[in-house]
Amino acid sequence: MADFTINQENISDAALPLFSLTIYDSHVTAVYSDTDMQAELMRVLRGDSNISVFDKQEGLYSRISVESNVAFYHKWFGCHTPLPEILVQFELQSCAKQPLHQCSESEIRRIYFAKYYMSGVKPMVFHEPIHGVDVRTVNTFITMLQKIKDVATPVLILVSNMEHALLLGDIAYKLQQTGMKQVEIDEEDIVTSEMEGTDLPTTANLFKISAKVDDKMILFDPPEIDYIESQDGKAMIVINEESYAMDATLVEVEQKLKVYGFYRCHRSYIVNLQKVREIITWSKNTYSLRINNKIQSTIPLSRTKIQDIQEKLSLK
Amino acid sequence: MNIQRISAIFEKDIKDFMKNMMLLVLPVIPIVTALMFDGIGEDKLPLALSYVIVGGTFSTVTSSCIMTMMAEENEKKTLRGLIQSPASLLDIIVGKSLVTGLITLISLVVSLVIIGIEPFLNFRVFVGLILLFLFFLLLGIGIGLFSKSLAATSAYLMPVIFLFGFTPMLNAFGFAEDSMAIKITDMFPIMQAIEIHDTNSWLPMGILAVWIIGAGLFTYVCFRKSMTDD
Repeated sequence: MADFTINQENISDAALPLFSLTIYDSHVTAVYSDTDMQAELMRVLRGDSNISVFDKQEGLYSRISVESNVAFYHKWFGCHTPLPEILVQFELQSCAKQPLHQCSESEIRRIYFAKYYMSGVKPMVFHEPIHGVDVRTVNTFITMLQKIKDVATPVLILVSNMEHALLLGDIAYKLQQTGMKQVEIDEEDIVTSEMEGTDLPTTANLFKISAKVDDKMILFDPPEIDYIESQDGKAMIVINEESYAMDATLVEVEQKLKVYGFYRCHRSYIVNLQKVREIITWSKNTYSLRINNKIQSTIPLSRTKIQDIQEKLSLK
Repeated sequence: MNIQRISAIFEKDIKDFMKNMMLLVLPVIPIVTALMFDGIGEDKLPLALSYVIVGGTFSTVTSSCIMTMMAEENEKKTLRGLIQSPASLLDIIVGKSLVTGLITLISLVVSLVIIGIEPFLNFRVFVGLILLFLFFLLLGIGIGLFSKSLAATSAYLMPVIFLFGFTPMLNAFGFAEDSMAIKITDMFPIMQAIEIHDTNSWLPMGILAVWIIGAGLFTYVCFRKSMTDD
């Protein structure tokens, strides 16, 4: 039995709500929370000597080459996979001879991944594993998660970015002051999107989307909107870094915006298709959309919708 | 003890040593000192001065090397996640000691060849040198275990070099022949090694062994402390 349970009840901590979370070895669990709550959770997890927390706080040997570093950890942990295979798996072969201080942040991150992978401990807790690294590194991490899952190791991932939680976790939770709530990653939510009628608006009424900020009512043109995400059942309009709460639910908004080229790409996201710059394909058939806005945000794309969206964008 | 881990740390530290300027200059110091002493021009170097070089090698190379290597791991927290038990810390210490031993050997042999190695090719002298090595190694490990940063080791290293490394030079302070200070310094490891070299008595070896046990205890205390700290 490799599952493990984090039980919050025996820790008297005002900053964390009471919760009990069981992490199974059959799927990766991701927990999304704000940074304060995450710091508290990390403190609790670090205090437990049975859990190895991988937070990249420890140093690597910066003077010697990437290969020497990996070779050392390989030998130290007695890893059975041959060393060249590890280097290739983590895409370190091209920078193998470089000393660490010449490596990019993404390359360093991959060395950490290789180290954590080779340590072979159970269970594993990762802290912000793919924050601020390139696509290649995210892909190696996803491949690595797959391999870890194959040997029945429970994995918990702590992130402060909902998109990362949905991308990495097979089950995603949201930790808030009110408690731990599962975020539904429902692939078959066609029911809601099928409900819209055939009566498309024919009048040329001016159409605006409204959101409330304090007491003011702000009106947006649909083309300005980057995407709309659902937070606790409420739809939030996201434009660059700003987000504005709407009164409507996601389903209602979806109905209204359909004609403006908006698409329900995920249970909790509606994207403005005109702003999609890139469809990113990760390994294990997961997808994300990159939005063409100032911060290049990425949002998840359900794997059942990939066909659909390609049709919509006339890619097929 | 795990041979695989020891060899892993040995290989890693040899590679690291080759890239670390701070450590690379250490074995050169005794060699340069030996060249300077040799260049003074006298036919044969007094035994006390030869032992200044021996003491210098052990303190600036042996103690300093292992101390720096351990302190650097502490400072950069590179060992986090590697040490799960006292056994794995022991593996690390043994691996590093092997590296230190190798470097000390090279530095010592080269320096002694420069000043004339013949007086040292003697079984009793060998035993004396090995005992000295153990003493300085244990002292270095102990200090390395508790010092948290590289900067701190330089401070801790000073007394080791001047008290234990350059003991024969302390006479230069001009203490009276029968003063307390001289009597105490005569008991120090290097002076005992000179005794071993000079006389046939076994007493100096006993005294040296007591020093080693002392250094061993100090290391053991530091070892326990560093294991309970984490």
